[in-house]
Amino acid sequence: MILQTFNLSKFFEGLRALDGVSISVPREALTLIIGPNGSGKTTFINTITGFYRADEGRVEYEGRDITNLPPHRVFREGIVRTFQIPRPFKKLTVLENMLMPLNNPGEHIRNAFVKKWVDFESESVEKAYDILEFLNISHLTFEKSETLSGGQLRLLEIGKALMTDAKLIVMDEPLAGVAPALAHEILRKIKELCETGKTFLIVEHRLDIILDYADRVYVMGNGKVIAEGGKEVIEKPEVVEVYLGA
Amino acid sequence: MAFEALISSILLWFGIYSILSLSLNVEYGYGGIPNFGKALAVLVGAFTAGAVVNRILIAMYSIEGTTITQRSGFMKSTVDSIIASNPAYGIGLLVFTLLLAGLIGAVIGALYILPSAKLESDYLAITLLAIAEIMFMISYYNTDLIGGYYGAPVPDVLAFIPGELREWAFVALILFFTLLTYLFLERTLNSPYGRLLRAMREDAVALQFSGKDIMWVRIKTLAFSSAIASMTGVLYSFYAGNVVGIVNLFARVNWTFFPFLMVLLGGMSNNRGVLAGVFSFVVIWRLLDGYKHEIADLLNLPFDVNWLQYIIFGALMIAILYYKPEGLVKEKPIETEPIKELKSKHSEKA
Repeated sequence: MILQTFNLSKFFEGLRALDGVSISVPREALTLIIGPNGSGKTTFINTITGFYRADEGRVEYEGRDITNLPPHRVFREGIVRTFQIPRPFKKLTVLENMLMPLNNPGEHIRNAFVKKWVDFESESVEKAYDILEFLNISHLTFEKSETLSGGQLRLLEIGKALMTDAKLIVMDEPLAGVAPALAHEILRKIKELCETGKTFLIVEHRLDIILDYADRVYVMGNGKVIAEGGKEVIEKPEVVEVYLGA
Repeated sequence: MAFEALISSILLWFGIYSILSLSLNVEYGYGGIPNFGKALAVLVGAFTAGAVVNRILIAMYSIEGTTITQRSGFMKSTVDSIIASNPAYGIGLLVFTLLLAGLIGAVIGALYILPSAKLESDYLAITLLAIAEIMFMISYYNTDLIGGYYGAPVPDVLAFIPGELREWAFVALILFFTLLTYLFLERTLNSPYGRLLRAMREDAVALQFSGKDIMWVRIKTLAFSSAIASMTGVLYSFYAGNVVGIVNLFARVNWTFFPFLMVLLGGMSNNRGVLAGVFSFVVIWRLLDGYKHEIADLLNLPFDVNWLQYIIFGALMIAILYYKPEGLVKEKPIETEPIKELKSKHSEKA
């Protein structure tokens, strides 16, 4: 397992947003977390990536305890995430956004002046453009990201995640606003990336599209894991119940 | 006001404020760090010249006196007479003081933001303002430190230049340092570092999920920009011959509010825009100052004419924020050489 959580809990003023969640994410696979609104999916992602501090429990990545590390340290451990509502750097171009997750030596003041970054930048720019072409948004490369539509912003978020060498990519509703044909294309690419050593942990609502691609599924309700297994897990009565609110 | 004096005044202040505003542009225009205590870095420069270097020279020449102000005055007479016959001494003293101020400025800049580097921008701004104000109060009311409200005379590093040429020599000197600062910052900021700062300004939280330690970036940036800004304090103190122009209760207006106005007027994260903003501001400011009595007579003002410029600049700040928030020169994306190459290939393809 690349990532494991043990009884992870997060409270907000007495509300148990996460209540003893234990999840294991298998290596080089697509793990899907589903559940109705308010079930704790995004809180779970926020807690494992350092946006929230866990109140109880533990997070282990590659066997190392990463509980409550700040977001930049979690990223450096090898976990990258995308947001439910995309957060682009609005005044920066699409290409500049794509370059941000990289650890460019030119981001250090002394290197910036002596230009010890041009080779790295050249490689990064090429890589970014290739990814933008794959995502069919290369025509937006030099546009400011504030001009992008909702669907295009999602693609940019995915592109940024693909720019990194992270082993685990955590995505919060990456398909929202993306056309079905492109969504399938993205998922096929994700599966290809799984074969090259990447692992994906995805929260998604569009089960009709994503379920066939999932290797493992966790269903959450009221801050707890209520079911887990293969894609057939959604047929379990407790899952149907939590979705229908019966 | 004589035309020649007006021109030299405009050029001198253009140089002084350009260095300061360019450094503010690094932290605020690029990095989004609302440093409302900008004047502190200028005070560090004055402190280096008036409190540190003065004491070194006082010790070197065994100058006696009852207060730092008095001892500095005696020391100035001695050192000025040496510089008058030995230009290298004056230039060496200037370079030494600038380097020392840069070093102290970097350390103070880093320490100054340390307690508040993790805060959101509003709280960060208030904390930085408060820390700077405390330091100014101490410097102003404690006459032992840097002379307080009496100030402390500093040597004339250009004492070897005859009196009638001294003003223009200082203008040339300051414009030279302005050019160096501009070229240095253009090269340093048109890079991934400049891009990092602009991303931090746009969304510091999201940037942390790109692996960037925001606190560390802010500390390094404040250290860097404060080192540059402290040069302003040194240059102005040497020009004025005393630190009293910086260690005063209007410091926050002259050394914080005005630079913010100039950066906003010119355009954020755009060094050329900042220079345009500084020049526009300085021309208006010096004309208002030079012809204030004529303006007062013409307008029959019901208040002291000295307040006119503050009213005008306050109104100008509001007008810019409301009607032209992008400033005189719009912000442009940072285009490094590899990005330019890709852009040209991309446009050929299209």
